[in-house]
Amino acid sequence: MLAIQKVRPAFVATSIITGEDRSPRVVLEANRAHDTARTARLERVVFRNDLSPQEALDAVCDREGEMDIVSEVSPADAARVERSEHARLIAIDANRLIVGLFNRRPDHDAPLTDARMREALNLAVDRHRMAAEGLGGHATPLAGMTPAWCNGVFPGAEARRRDAARAAELAAAAGWSPGRPLRLATPAALEGLARMAAADIEDALGLRVEVIAVPPSDEGVGARRLVEKKLPLGWDVLLHPWFDLSSDMPPAFVHREFFGHDGAFRAGPEDEEFDRRFAELARTTDPDEARRQAEDVDRYCFEQSLALFLVAPQALYAVNRHVDFKAYRATFELADTEVSAEHWSRREA
Amino acid sequence: MSSVATERAMPEAGPPVPVGTVHVFDPNPLNWLFVTWNTMEEPVRTDHEGHTVLALAEAAEWRADGGFAVTVRRGARFQDGEPCTAHSIKQNFDEVQKWAAPHPPGTYLNFHPDATCTVEDEQTCVFRFPEPDGLIMAKFRGFHIAGSSFWHTHGFGYKKTGSGEGHW
Repeated sequence: MLAIQKVRPAFVATSIITGEDRSPRVVLEANRAHDTARTARLERVVFRNDLSPQEALDAVCDREGEMDIVSEVSPADAARVERSEHARLIAIDANRLIVGLFNRRPDHDAPLTDARMREALNLAVDRHRMAAEGLGGHATPLAGMTPAWCNGVFPGAEARRRDAARAAELAAAAGWSPGRPLRLATPAALEGLARMAAADIEDALGLRVEVIAVPPSDEGVGARRLVEKKLPLGWDVLLHPWFDLSSDMPPAFVHREFFGHDGAFRAGPEDEEFDRRFAELARTTDPDEARRQAEDVDRYCFEQSLALFLVAPQALYAVNRHVDFKAYRATFELADTEVSAEHWSRREA
Repeated sequence: MSSVATERAMPEAGPPVPVGTVHVFDPNPLNWLFVTWNTMEEPVRTDHEGHTVLALAEAAEWRADGGFAVTVRRGARFQDGEPCTAHSIKQNFDEVQKWAAPHPPGTYLNFHPDATCTVEDEQTCVFRFPEPDGLIMAKFRGFHIAGSSFWHTHGFGYKKTGSGEGHW
């Protein structure tokens, strides 16, 4: 569905994927005429959509000849893959992040327009424990919106350590209404992490936290409300996963989307200071100057605690032991994937 | 000045011979994009670290007059053998510009509505924008280049939905 954000001064809209119409199998054949070093090593790639995630994981872990690469392996399944005699676990620090959006709408009754409250929540949660225990070590705590390996992370960026006492001081100064619970919404898939954050916040700030797990069937409706910015939102904080298409210019695909005047996930009024900095960056064609300005944007978001900065989860793949798969931070491509002579497809040939 | 590395040339030993089949299960909701990136080229792509490198372009640089010149990799061809030239870039640019919101992730990837693309020669085309676009290389990552037969048959959503909105 198309979520229309604005029509003036320019039309801005985002497509929300509410369902996928996949063919049971999508077969890619090597282009033997490709003329660069990236010519395919594999003769054929078959994307299979006729299995459940569990069936696919079983097939790659327990047998050979049915499944060679399973993406999006849950950290909860990582140990099983590592124990498998047929598969290996490939992990990469990917350009992905999980953060919390703050509801900063003018008509919202929680004091999240106050930077002290946003910083309090950032100091209340233990993102290091979340990465280590919630995601089994397959994640990196975030300082701000830019993973440490990307260009544009501001110099000196360090993920905040939990400081419950300072968090309580800041929350008291911001003035959260006594007895009002904090409503923390999350896609159902991230409910475990949301409950870790909720427990930290309750412990540090003495607030009751209501976790609202949104089932996949309702995510499209919630996303459209968020993107179109016309109907009220039913949450104070929303856990939100996102990604980046490259490691070079995170503000373009990440920061702007969360905080920019045309950002799909902006959950508050337009931020003139952010927009001024981003507009300057968007006009800059010198790569070194652009990088400096990207760092400036990243630092601004950190200092203003514009989001609940949590973790950058790894991308995990279960890969057949005879497949040499090279993971990418920002994509899933197979041009340089190879199979050894012991692979089932070559033995059968 | 080009700001990114160039695509590696084919090794002197010649191209590797593709062998083997792999079966893949990819539940990522961006699978449509990954299949596109595995089957089409863009002026740029990203390397393993996520950094931008030239792909279908062998050069991309700002000129003193404010134009952004793209030089298409010499000898590039589509899967059906059609040469990929500066005319191909312009054809795909013109298709993109028809739509208000062609990219599922949002209009940020759009080129400015008043941007133009002019073919200088078989390998070179020049983009012109109302104001400098410092994010152009990032946008090029989502600028999929298809052969003319693609536009005459499927298009991005043309055959299935009658529109390119939300389908790039």
